[in-house]
Amino acid sequence: MKEIDFRHDLLPLKDKIFRLALRITLRADEAEDITEETLVRAWEKRSELAQVNSLEAYCLTATRNLALDTIAKKEHQNLSLDEDAFDRPDASRTPQEELEHSEKLASVRQIINSLPEKQRTVVQLRDIEGLPYSEIAAVTGWTEEVVKVTLHRARKFIKLEYLKLEHHGL
Amino acid sequence: MDYKYIEQLLERYWEAATTAEEERILRAFFAQDILPAHLARYKELFAYQSEAAGEALGTEFDERVLARIGEPAAQPQIVVKAHRITLANRLRPLFRAAAAVAIVCLLGTAAQHSFDNENADGVPAASQQTYQAQQENLPEDAERAGFYKEAGPKTAAADSLRKQAAE
Repeated sequence: MKEIDFRHDLLPLKDKIFRLALRITLRADEAEDITEETLVRAWEKRSELAQVNSLEAYCLTATRNLALDTIAKKEHQNLSLDEDAFDRPDASRTPQEELEHSEKLASVRQIINSLPEKQRTVVQLRDIEGLPYSEIAAVTGWTEEVVKVTLHRARKFIKLEYLKLEHHGL
Repeated sequence: MDYKYIEQLLERYWEAATTAEEERILRAFFAQDILPAHLARYKELFAYQSEAAGEALGTEFDERVLARIGEPAAQPQIVVKAHRITLANRLRPLFRAAAAVAIVCLLGTAAQHSFDNENADGVPAASQQTYQAQQENLPEDAERAGFYKEAGPKTAAADSLRKQAAE
């Protein structure tokens, strides 16, 4: 049985873990803590985990559970605005177009973040991480059918809200 | 240009009926700079997915978590020297053994011949020893005499001599 190596097997998962934790908690500081905690706990359990099918699915499951615990706590209830990461200049657009582009991206982010947690999670794992339905089912503990229905609802909502913004002359 | 394929994909996308590959196609399509008016509206919706997939933690995180599990930040370089073990290297001991056997047989046979050739008066000193004793001494003699060389076909030669002696 091959031993788990931290650098080679666990550390590369950090960004996916962080992004999921961020999508659920909507707070970068909490997401970072959760990422660290998840990796360290997985490391401590490495001898048991050597037998597991997908280390990634295991870690994402643990991440979600930790994140859910975090948002249930009172301290989390004072929501902070999450930082806008879209400050990269794009030479192919005029300043006006660039502003609109950034604003639109920010809007999409806000729309997704306004979804209920289950829908946020599925959008994150499918639309952003590109995971197969089987893995999403494993991470959430739902059936693939439930995953698809949840995703369908989420995408419909995002489309609706996004097009509403368009009509308001964004 | 007919965008029917993309439009169909888009319809299935909202229904959560697309495959991961089809979703990649949609993202790639909407990443283009020039899009038809009726589809351009969705650009940022898919652009966001690609951007969000790029969010990452920095190296400070790495250092922090590595310190926490007790690993050094920079891994020491472990250099392993690889020694080439060629076929020739592996067979060398075998050749030497074969050479030794060949020499033993060769000289033993020669001594036997010389013993046979002498009549009762002039008995050669070598033949005073038994054949067995001669065999025991010969490998050392051969070594001192510099016969101990890397060999090729010595085995074959020994075999042929042995055959001759047997006849």
